[in-house]
Formats: sequence, structure tokens, C-alpha cells
Amino acid sequence: MKRSIAAVAIVLRKELRDALRDRRTLMTVLVSAVLMGPLVLLAISGLVASLEARAEQREVVVAGIANAPTLRNYLERQTYVVKEAPRDFESQLRRSTLHDPVVVVPEHFEAELVRGDVPVVEIVSDSANQRAEASTARIERLLGGFSRERALLSLALRGVSAQVLEPMEVEDRDLASTQTRATRITGMLPYFVMMAVLYGALNAALDTTAGERERGSLEPLLMNPTERWALVAGKWGAVVCVSVLIAVLSCFSFLPGQWVLRSDTLQAMFQYGPREAGLFILLLLPLAAALSAVLMAVAIRSRTFKEAQASSTVVVLAVSLLPLVNVFDLGGEAPWHLWAPALAQNTLMTRVLKGEALDAWQVLVPLGVCAALAASGVWSVARQLHQAAVK
Amino acid sequence: MIEVRSLAKSFAVPARSGGWRRTRKVDRAAATSPTVDDRRVHAVVDVSFDAPDGRITGLLGPNGAGKTTTLRMLAALIAPDAGTMRVDGIDVVARPREVLARMGVLSDARGLYPRLTARENIVYYGELHGMGRDAAEARAVELARRFEMTALLDRRAGGFSQGERMKTALCRALVHDPPNIVLDEPTNGLDVLATRALRDSLRWLRTPEGGAKCIVFSTHIMQEVERLCDGVVVVAHGRTVATGTVDELLAKTGQRDFEEAFVELAFVAERGAAEVAS
Repeated sequence: MKRSIAAVAIVLRKELRDALRDRRTLMTVLVSAVLMGPLVLLAISGLVASLEARAEQREVVVAGIANAPTLRNYLERQTYVVKEAPRDFESQLRRSTLHDPVVVVPEHFEAELVRGDVPVVEIVSDSANQRAEASTARIERLLGGFSRERALLSLALRGVSAQVLEPMEVEDRDLASTQTRATRITGMLPYFVMMAVLYGALNAALDTTAGERERGSLEPLLMNPTERWALVAGKWGAVVCVSVLIAVLSCFSFLPGQWVLRSDTLQAMFQYGPREAGLFILLLLPLAAALSAVLMAVAIRSRTFKEAQASSTVVVLAVSLLPLVNVFDLGGEAPWHLWAPALAQNTLMTRVLKGEALDAWQVLVPLGVCAALAASGVWSVARQLHQAAVK
Repeated sequence: MIEVRSLAKSFAVPARSGGWRRTRKVDRAAATSPTVDDRRVHAVVDVSFDAPDGRITGLLGPNGAGKTTTLRMLAALIAPDAGTMRVDGIDVVARPREVLARMGVLSDARGLYPRLTARENIVYYGELHGMGRDAAEARAVELARRFEMTALLDRRAGGFSQGERMKTALCRALVHDPPNIVLDEPTNGLDVLATRALRDSLRWLRTPEGGAKCIVFSTHIMQEVERLCDGVVVVAHGRTVATGTVDELLAKTGQRDFEEAFVELAFVAERGAAEVAS
């Protein structure tokens, strides 16, 4: 027994050294899984910052403002700067080179307004142009203010109280905490971290099983007086280590990532410190263990690395798609989410980001599921090992 | 000391996973070969031999005679259907790990880890055999000197030539200084010089200074057997058809050329088996 445990350590050390020397694969995984998240975060922060800057600019782009001196007067009283729209604003909006919606004022606006003919003012935007679209509501509110002011004035002239026009007042009350609101933007962060775990485990798992078969090194390996389970446990341990290493790098890469966040609001909302990173890693450990074992069990049945890549697609796809149930918010959180690996981790990490507490049951269910998966994966590899070596 | 008695092994023909083509192929083979019937491939039917210490025993047979399957069973990689195998008196099936500890096997598959150096490849196996790291390192250096590959020790195996790979794999198999050495077609892919070097090494391992090892090696090359082996076991169609020294086999067949003697032994076996089948 003592010797078998020593053998586990020997195999683990060798497999780790082997995996860490595979620089090219490691670099690819690092770049795609570890850098991707912070980069996307950075891009989002850039977008949010520019939206904020736009909101603070208090500019409104109008086509034909010369037709509406009254409107211009109102806008300027609201401290807005009125800019004349470029001639080809429609195509500019479509190409997303113009980042503001355009208010189009008809030629006889002033006359119709005076006559009470209800002139039609268009707000032109393109729903594919995100930045312009984001400002549309603001402009709508601004123009609504103008209508209301006109209505109040005419009523006041006739001696009617302004309350007739507004028999009810509407006020917003947002229940979401700052953190909850932030998860709308940072919600895909757990997803990126989980992909890092998956891709970290993938190559190592395939290399220690199908790769070993393809190289013809599995048969000689089994001619050593080492217990089968010790060989498999060592290999599995190494794959888990590589996967966790990538996960740790990925989780911590978001820490410096947020220092460069360009939006102050986002920075204030994005609560992700060493504590959250640590919790993420704790939640991801069982997933890394389970994924490594399952990938190995799938790959040991393949004769070549390429064949194993094809058959592991099912696992990769399942792990990539399950968390999307959460991302797209299909039917809210359901109890079964905790029983599905990957989805459970995604749910729990989202909770951590929201600043919500995790209870024991929420942690134990995914832990149990992952432990069962890991155990059956390792068992299956050990069972398959001899057959795989001679086929 | 290796004793093999009446060894047999057949494999089921995979009915579903192989698809209809595979089944058809086996059907066709069944018509011509007595070692294949409609459901099973009889890789080894009846193989027996003794390989004493301090001698080189050659397992000679045409391709597909069952040599590799026999050696795989000897290395406890697959379980035999019938027969017994003992290595230094220890039963292979009952106590496989004890047997493997006393045996160095250079199998048909001799893959190395391309990202590890030759030294790391060798030391890894030494450690798996329960050697300490220092002892394994020292042994790797000693073997490298013996096989003239000291310069290779700290190079990664990924760029090795066929001969360099073979030498490394051989060192790896011998790292724990086993009293029994089993080699499956060790000269496959080696050039003349490398083959000669290997032959010299095997001759040395047979001597008392080299440890008076019991060496079994399988081959289909006559010259190798003639130049190296103290005893020959001719295997054809999964059966031992003749045993003895080269001279004894020549005398038995009345031939002067060993190749002719071998063809006669293997061919007679084939004809005999065909007659039995019909």
C-alpha cells in the first residue's frame, strides 16, 4: 500500500512535468482561457465608459432644428447642446459611425404646433447600433418633457390645475443591490473561468490516456509492477493539478483586470476581490476533479489523440452549453441546477458575485455530484487500462 | 528462468464494433487458416518452452505466429485461456507484480515520452520499480555507458532516431537489473551497427559478469537466431513446432541451411495443422 502511494506520487510528478513541458499547448490555453476574460471585461468597461460619457455630454443631434425655435429654446433651457445632424445620418447610424440617435423635425413643425395639429417628431436610431440605441430612451424622455411643458402651459392659460394631467405619480424603486445590478454585466465571468478549467483539463487528460496509447508507451508502462489504480490515480491527479492551475490563473487574472476598468460606475459595482477569487477556486476544485476523470474515461477508449478529441467534444459541448441556462436566464434558478455539473458551479459563482451567502446544501450537492463523477471516471479508466494497452 | 507450458489464448471477434466488413474478413480467413473460426481468433494454441538462466533463447516464427501474444501473456498484460507460466518459479497469473519486478520487458510497443529526456524516461521506470531516485539515476548512467548513449542522456526523446529510441527503451527495461529479460523483435528498425551493438550487449548480459541473465527474444530473422541464440523455439500458427539448438534443428530436418530448416519446420506445421483442420 505504501509503495502504491509512492507510485501515485511518482506518476503524478512525471505527468505534471510532461504536461508543463508542453509549452505550446499551455500557452494556447493560457491565452485563450486566461486572457480572454479580462480582455472581454476591458471591452465592456470601455463600452460602459463611453455610454456614461455620452450621457454626461448632454448633447442632442437634431435634423432640421431651424424649423423648431420653440423646441430649441426648450432644449437649451435643459442645458443641452443642440447639434445639427449630418446629411447622411441614416447611413452613418447603420454603419455605427454615428453614436447618437437623431431627432428629425418636420418642416412645418412650428406652424403645426401653434395650430395644435400635433406635429410628428421622429427619433431615428438603429437597433443594431448599440450606443445610439442606449441613448434613445434619454432623448425620448427629453422630448416627452417638452410635450408635458407645452401641455401644462396651455392648461395653465385656461386656469386648469396641472394635476389634471398627472392624476398619478410614478416612481422607480430598484430592489437590486449594486452587486446584483453589476452581475448583469459581470455575469459571464464565471463562464470564462469554467472554460479555463475545461480547456486546462482537456489536453492533459487526452495526452495521458489516448496520447499514451498513440505513442505506444501505455503497454510498457503496464509492464511495471505498479498497481493499476495507482497509475490512474497519479495521472488523474496530474490532470486535476493542471486544470486547477489554469483555473487559479484565470480567477486571479480578473483582479488586475478590474484595476484598468475605465468606468467608475462599473468599478464600483464590480465586487471581485481576493475573497471572491478564492471562493471561485474552492467551487471549481470539484468540477476540475470530475471533468478530468470524465475526459480521461472518454479518451482512454480512443486509439489516437485525434480520435479522443472528436469523442470528447460531447463533454466539452455539455460543459459549455449547460451554464448558458443561467446566462440566458431560462426560467430563473431551479433546484435541479445544483445537480447538473458546470451549471451548478456557474449558479454558485454567480451567487458569490452577487454577494449572496451560500448554504451548506448548495455546496454539498454539487460536491457530491462531482465526487461521484470523478470516482466513476477513475474507476472506468482503471478498468479499461489493460484492454487499451493491447488493442 | 522462465518456464511456459501449454499456453493458449483466443480472442473473440467483435461482432458489432467491427462491423460487417471485419466479420467478412474473418470468415474468409476461417476458410484458409486453422487458427481462425467464425467466432474466435486463436492467436496461441499450444506454446511451451523453457528458457534457462545464462542463456539466450530465441522465439522464432513467421509474422502472426503468436510470438507477441505469448510475450504479452508472459508480461501479465493479458490473461491466458489455458497453460501455466513461471518466472523464477513464480506463477505469472497468480502473482503478476512479483514476476514483473523480476523481469525486464522490451515489448512490441516501445514508446517513449517525447518531452522527457532519455535520463528522465529511464529513471521514471526505475522509480516505478521501487528504486530510489539516486539509485535509478546511477543505474541510468551505468546503462547509458554500456549501450554507448551517454551523449543522449540529457536530450529529449522527441528527436531521437529509431536506434536511439530502441536503446533508450532497452535501458528503461533493464533499469531495475532484472534477472529475466524478454525482448520482442528488438532489432526491428535498427541498422547494422545498432543491431551489432545490441547483439554484443545481449551476449554480455548472458555472461556471469553481465549477471547471467535469462534472455528470451522473439524474432523472425534467421541470422539473428544463428548468431546469438543458445536455444531456439520455433513457433508457427500458435504452436511450438520444434525446440533445440540451431545444430539440433539442422540435424532434425537434414538441412545445411538454417533458413531452409526453418521453412521446413514452419511449413510442415502449417500443412499438418491444415490436415488436422480438414
